Amino acid sequence: MSTITENFRQKINLKVADCETREQRLGTIIGWTGRASELSEISNKARCGAGGRRECSLCETRGPFTQGSVCSEQMVECQAGNVRNAVLVQHSPIGCAAGQPMYNGIYRNGLAIRGLPVENLLITSTNLNESDMIFGAILKLHQTIQDVYERYKPEAIFVSTSCATAIIADDIESASAEEQEKLGIPVIPLYCEGFRSKHWSTGFDATQHGILRQIVRKNPTKKQDDLINVINLWGSDVFTPMFAELGLRVNYVVDLATVEQLAQLSEAAATVGFCYTLSTYMAAALEQEFGIPEIKAPQPYGFAGTDAWLREIGRVTHREDKVEAYIEKEHARVRPLLEKLQDKLKGIKGYVATGSAYSHGLISVMRELGIAVNGSLVFHHDPVYDSGDSRQDSLKHLVDNYGDVPSFHVSNRQQYQFYGLLKRINPDFILIRHNGLAPLASRLGIPAAPLGDEHIAIGYQGMVNLGETILEVLAHRKFHEDLRDHVTLPYSHWWLQQDDPYILSKHPELIES
Amino acid sequence: MSLKKINGLEITPTHSINQVRYGCTLGAMYSAAAIPGAIPIAHCGPGCADKQFMALAFYNGFQGGGYGGGAVPPSVNAGEKEVVFGGNERLEELIKATLKIMRGDLYVVLTGCIGELVGDDVGSVVSPFQQRGVPICYAETGGFKGNNFTGHELVTRAIIDQFVKDYDGKKEETLVNVWSELPFQNTFWRGDLAEIKRILEGIGFKVNILFGFGSKGADEWKTIPKAKFNLVISPWLGLETAKHLSEKYSQPFLHYPVIPIGAKETSKFLRTVADFAGLKKETVEEFIRQEEKEYYYYLEHFSDFYAEYWWGLPARYGIVGDSAYVLAVSKFVVNQLGLIPASHIITDNPPEQYREGIEKEFRSLSHDVSEEVIFVEDGYWVKKILENTDFGHKPPIIFGTTWERDTVKKFGGQVVEIGFPASYEVVINRSYVGYRGAFALLEKIFTAAISASA
Repeated sequence: MSTITENFRQKINLKVADCETREQRLGTIIGWTGRASELSEISNKARCGAGGRRECSLCETRGPFTQGSVCSEQMVECQAGNVRNAVLVQHSPIGCAAGQPMYNGIYRNGLAIRGLPVENLLITSTNLNESDMIFGAILKLHQTIQDVYERYKPEAIFVSTSCATAIIADDIESASAEEQEKLGIPVIPLYCEGFRSKHWSTGFDATQHGILRQIVRKNPTKKQDDLINVINLWGSDVFTPMFAELGLRVNYVVDLATVEQLAQLSEAAATVGFCYTLSTYMAAALEQEFGIPEIKAPQPYGFAGTDAWLREIGRVTHREDKVEAYIEKEHARVRPLLEKLQDKLKGIKGYVATGSAYSHGLISVMRELGIAVNGSLVFHHDPVYDSGDSRQDSLKHLVDNYGDVPSFHVSNRQQYQFYGLLKRINPDFILIRHNGLAPLASRLGIPAAPLGDEHIAIGYQGMVNLGETILEVLAHRKFHEDLRDHVTLPYSHWWLQQDDPYILSKHPELIES
Repeated sequence: MSLKKINGLEITPTHSINQVRYGCTLGAMYSAAAIPGAIPIAHCGPGCADKQFMALAFYNGFQGGGYGGGAVPPSVNAGEKEVVFGGNERLEELIKATLKIMRGDLYVVLTGCIGELVGDDVGSVVSPFQQRGVPICYAETGGFKGNNFTGHELVTRAIIDQFVKDYDGKKEETLVNVWSELPFQNTFWRGDLAEIKRILEGIGFKVNILFGFGSKGADEWKTIPKAKFNLVISPWLGLETAKHLSEKYSQPFLHYPVIPIGAKETSKFLRTVADFAGLKKETVEEFIRQEEKEYYYYLEHFSDFYAEYWWGLPARYGIVGDSAYVLAVSKFVVNQLGLIPASHIITDNPPEQYREGIEKEFRSLSHDVSEEVIFVEDGYWVKKILENTDFGHKPPIIFGTTWERDTVKKFGGQVVEIGFPASYEVVINRSYVGYRGAFALLEKIFTAAISASA
């Protein structure tokens, strides 16, 4: 089944310290506008047509106006910085460390919903100044690595680059290697400076690359046949009860995992994820390097996706009977609950603005709930994932099983474009992840459900959870509609009148007038 | 790095910083965004603007970005191309597009690390727009230059020099410019500036508060040169600006290091300022009389609780934060409540030349209380110092940040989050200063202390 992209697929190269960016590996784009079905088709062509190395014929919109986005280093903070008993050293001026309060808040609340002891994260900055920019800062990096080692006795130390230290070309690889030798624990350089990749998800890959190279056990002496790697963030523990029914155990990575839990990635029976945007690199590399099968199926959203995903897990782990029994039981349990929700949600229009693969999953669930979804904004688009396997084509799965999305847009969290998109669709609510878009929706009178717990919509129960969450958020409309009538947006009259949010990409000369 | 010994603990900080307690120079985007109608433009990488926002304006009281902050500010989002070939052209394109798409009364371009390291000439990009009459200025705020306190004064100066510009007209007798808390960094700046404006207006001033709801935005900034004097209400922030203005517009300044909390401090403050400006005594005293009447009406009722609450109240306190609040809150809780000081930790990295003045203030906290203050920025040392402090026989009250939550849990006490980052506080316009803010602070302290008691 995976023949289409066999020739496209490139080996992940774990021999070098830096990982290739998303755009290099997958042909990722951050701007596009059209129908979901079109994007799916041209992504398919881009994959097949290239016939070689990551050529991508996907057209990317690019305009003269951009608002602040998100960088790869932030994703490293949110992954490597949230590993328990490890420390992330940010080799950077103090501004990069401004991420600490946010990822600390997330870490603390993530630990709390998993029932783990709540604690502050340990990210530590080398806090570089102007003279470091001139004379180099490698000695400070050594000092900070020693500081965190003495202070916290971590089991691993991650070192992240920054725009500044990349430009002054500090050799963090050699410094990390020296310290690793000296301290006897993994000291792992992560190349994630913000300017390096146009999309922040490269930061996920950078973290996972480092973990694969320096933490995952190279020659595992045992195999844990009932252990499933789940690549996720901080979400609540919905996988344990689900997998328990199949006689499987869960190994959650990367956030909130211990270093040992990362090390045992190579001993598991299979790897799954809740979102291919996040899990694509790690899962493919585990299969390539250690033969841990990646579950190649649609993502576990809605009946169609969850059924297929579970069946593939059953096939790979030889638990077909248990899976069939579970599916049957869950269908019977959830169907009547869904019918009730469908009644309540009749006539409601929704919109999704999240990461790419996650959006594909959420739209499926919303359509199971009978909600009209005519539009979605995704922060980027990968025409293919690292496995190159068409069974993981989450966008195609959405279009084939749940129909087209007529107003489908790629925009890396550009609020000014979101205005026009919302105006066009005028939804009753939106689903979001990442900050920055819900505040605009709010000013337009539209409530948002921020899915901080990313597991909320997974599996059969996820459809019920999401339905309940949407009902709750619809009740917030009163607040947002009141606000809408009393605020002024920071955009010009001209912009607010535009029908096409991508007009400046098509006519950049308009900024001259 | 200063070395100190606290209860046998040798404090030996390196440059490393865990538990960051401020933004970088570029964080002064939020000084620009604090001016109503102003929009910052970030000449930096893709994540810088978001980091400063999430830190200063979100996970810090959930203040919100407002009109020109949050995900609104235009940003170059520099990539490899701008690093290799320079970002001047891209910035010019972005400014043009900004003028087409955004609606701002004032635009402030702030440079980040990338632009400065690759040598972009931002001045040459911005000045043609200025010549066309566009209300735009720029500040070189590369993140390696310091923190957002440094950035604040760079941005302030940029707006004054490039937007307000020269002035040699008349001064307005009762107009005063106020330079006080750092917007957004201080979680309570909005309510605090409103209270400061209210009390100064109460004694007869016209006030340029310059940031927050009470400011008239860019138009108000244009009247800065007309003020009779500059009033700096903070231990050190704003002094550079005041010195600059004294040269530029021949304006004297009054430096009042203690942001006043409670009637005693506030009345003293108002009398000092009125005296400096030569205001009519009767108006000033009448206002103070009215305010104190109200203040002591409420304090009298509060005293029943404070005098005879059965189940114990904290006696000692430790405090961690920016010099402005550490000083202001300490003055208040020592002199108004009679709490016993145990530890004062200042984390905003005040420039060396101002540290002695700050230390002096703590040596005369009260007529009978003289305290030492410690300057550290690394959260590792903050925690160590608190753990090595003798808080006596019962749990203290700790004024601090979210970073202190774990430490305070170990003491069995309560944390009152008074500064960045306050990630478990929702703050709209709550103020802790002046006559009125003092009560919000009392409510917060004692609700925290007793709500956990049973």
